[in-house]
Amino acid sequence: MNANGNQGQSLWQSAWAQLRRRRLVRGCLWVLAAFFAVALYGETMHQWYRFKDETPPYQRVDLQKRYLPPSLFRGPLAQAADGTAPGLLTVVSRLSHHPLGTDNLGRDVLQRTVQGARIAFLVGVVTSLIAIPIGVVLGCLAGYFGRWVDDLVVWLYTTVACMPGLLFVLAIAMVVGKGLTGIYVGIGLTTWVGLCRLVRGEVMKHRERAYVMAARSLGYSPWRIIFRHILPNVFHIIIITFSLRFPAAIGTEVFMSFLGIGVQGEPSWGVMVSNARLRLWQGVWWEMTAVTAVIVVVVLAFNLVGDALRDALDPRLKSQD
Amino acid sequence: MVPTVFGVILITFLLFYAVGGSPSSVALGKNATPQALEEFDEQRGFNKPLFAGLWTRTRALPDVDFTKGTGTWAGTRGLEEVWSGNEKGFARLAGGHSYRPPLAFGLRPGTTYRLRVVCRSPDGASLRVRSGVAGTGPASRIGGGWAEVVFPFAAGGEGPLEVEVSRGRVEIRSMALQRKVRHVLDSQLVHFLGRLAHWDLGESIATNQKVTTMLRRGVGPSLLLTVPVFAGELALSLSLALICAYFRDRWPDRMLVLVSVALMSVNYLIWIIFGQFFLAYKLQWFPIWGMESWRNLLLPVGIGIVSAMGANLRFYRTIMLDEMYKDYVRTAFAKGRGPAGVLFGHVLPNAMIPVITNTVIAIPFLYTGSLLLESFFGIPGLGGMSVNAIHSSDVEVVRGVVLVGALLYVAASLISDVCYAVADPRVKLR
Repeated sequence: MNANGNQGQSLWQSAWAQLRRRRLVRGCLWVLAAFFAVALYGETMHQWYRFKDETPPYQRVDLQKRYLPPSLFRGPLAQAADGTAPGLLTVVSRLSHHPLGTDNLGRDVLQRTVQGARIAFLVGVVTSLIAIPIGVVLGCLAGYFGRWVDDLVVWLYTTVACMPGLLFVLAIAMVVGKGLTGIYVGIGLTTWVGLCRLVRGEVMKHRERAYVMAARSLGYSPWRIIFRHILPNVFHIIIITFSLRFPAAIGTEVFMSFLGIGVQGEPSWGVMVSNARLRLWQGVWWEMTAVTAVIVVVVLAFNLVGDALRDALDPRLKSQD
Repeated sequence: MVPTVFGVILITFLLFYAVGGSPSSVALGKNATPQALEEFDEQRGFNKPLFAGLWTRTRALPDVDFTKGTGTWAGTRGLEEVWSGNEKGFARLAGGHSYRPPLAFGLRPGTTYRLRVVCRSPDGASLRVRSGVAGTGPASRIGGGWAEVVFPFAAGGEGPLEVEVSRGRVEIRSMALQRKVRHVLDSQLVHFLGRLAHWDLGESIATNQKVTTMLRRGVGPSLLLTVPVFAGELALSLSLALICAYFRDRWPDRMLVLVSVALMSVNYLIWIIFGQFFLAYKLQWFPIWGMESWRNLLLPVGIGIVSAMGANLRFYRTIMLDEMYKDYVRTAFAKGRGPAGVLFGHVLPNAMIPVITNTVIAIPFLYTGSLLLESFFGIPGLGGMSVNAIHSSDVEVVRGVVLVGALLYVAASLISDVCYAVADPRVKLR
């Protein structure tokens, strides 16, 4: 019985209630919601300018406006002649076009950060769409069928686990080709091992349970038993894995783009860090500060929510309290 | 163990040979002649069949598909291109003539080649391949419908390759020239395995050094960086984890957990950039770049420890918590041992098994160094070398580092099994 003592609740409902009860987690959920919204907005902008076949504002070079520091207003807000504060309309009309400043080519840092959020989101989702199905399907097959299928899958993931982490991802991206595809494939094909291992172990346990026996004696096909009966019971593992691998994928993308193997010609966070790093020595601190702050906040929010989800969903941890 | 080694080699092979293909165009540049490319491939075994087989591609005659265009065949004398309405394009060869496929370089005398031609002939013409003086293959009659006809022939010494059409006309859709290799197993895979058996990882494309030499030279600086990081981080996170477990759910524990999540969330990159900028450049506490003395290592080691600590601290904390509430701990406290004695003398040894798995398994990754730390701080180790190699698409070096890293990992997992048996008398090696 969970800590709620409420018998009518499903696992998901009680998990949700637990998440919402904690103020920190609630804040993180808002951060994540904002991140999704910003990414969605970035995607809309990206598609819109592609549709119009125009250079989007985040790529527009304006050498007149290089290295504008961040500011809330354009120029000093001059006081009116009689010394009273300026009116609301004046204040609004003087709001800066570049609240976070501009970079070395006069491109707006805020808009580029928004585009970075879009790419980070894409990387998290697409790599999950590659890695999670591989891990789940292989794990289910190995756990349910056992014998040679199990041997094969275990061999496969042991082998992949032996490859040296980031270097292997980079090598795959190098071979597949630079750009987003390389990132997707590189991260997607290397990060399914942990999930596969977990799912395999869980499915092995479930295989011996009474409900699976019953389904089997009713003559259901193995596929139906695996994907209709067992999978919903191990689904929480997939959710936890997803929420914890998302920030990891974002971090890896930053590395790869930073090293010049990832995103090309688009403002991803890694590209921005790599760009801003050279300017940091010249005293242009705002681009670096903006990007790093955003990365840290998003990844931190993901990690905290992922942890809370694990505490709420994984019955093993729950039973210890 | 053996299957895993095999799997590692297979994955490396698939990635760098089957997917990656020959690095010849990267190495020789875009304007290299087909002959130079072929020689490059010949030296490194890239012009063999992938797994097994008798026939392989040759760059002497690029495959041509007349349904898509004439390619290098444009301007061949006597060749007539036909693009009719409902049929895809083909080339028509009139009878009574010989045609010379545009070879990029001469065929190797004495080697068997074959020409695969997808063709038809409305009036039963026959086709024959001639190479030099000695190498004439048999003529074969071409049927009325599209079919693939294979013409094997031995390349003669001097003289061009000619396709001779007896009479009537022949229409051709596509043509491909293939070379016969010595035997079925004369393949890239076997070549790769053979070189591995001699511990030959090839030569760097960029510097022409042997990859094995580069590995040997780079491993020292890498270990100088990663071993202190590893040891320091292990000691620090184990001690902090014990403190967490002792103060479970009180403020030191909560604070450390929060700190570890925060540490985890800050990207490695950010630590490095800010560390280098503020501590080394602004405050000048540490040298910025290079590898002149031990002082150069201080900052990268510190950054390495801080950034690796987050995840491990949390992991070790869960392990310690599992142990903390067992009976023997209460007994130890009851008999009057102090907190430090109980934690380090009783809890730590009992929590060693998961710790050993986690640490021994991490040891082989020390060898590849740290990609970012090394390239940022100018430490001439394997990590910086790999980053440079990836930048210059130096496939041979990347392959060498990946392969050796993976093999070391396999060895380490074997060692960690042995360590289990040493640490835990209940585990017996079979």
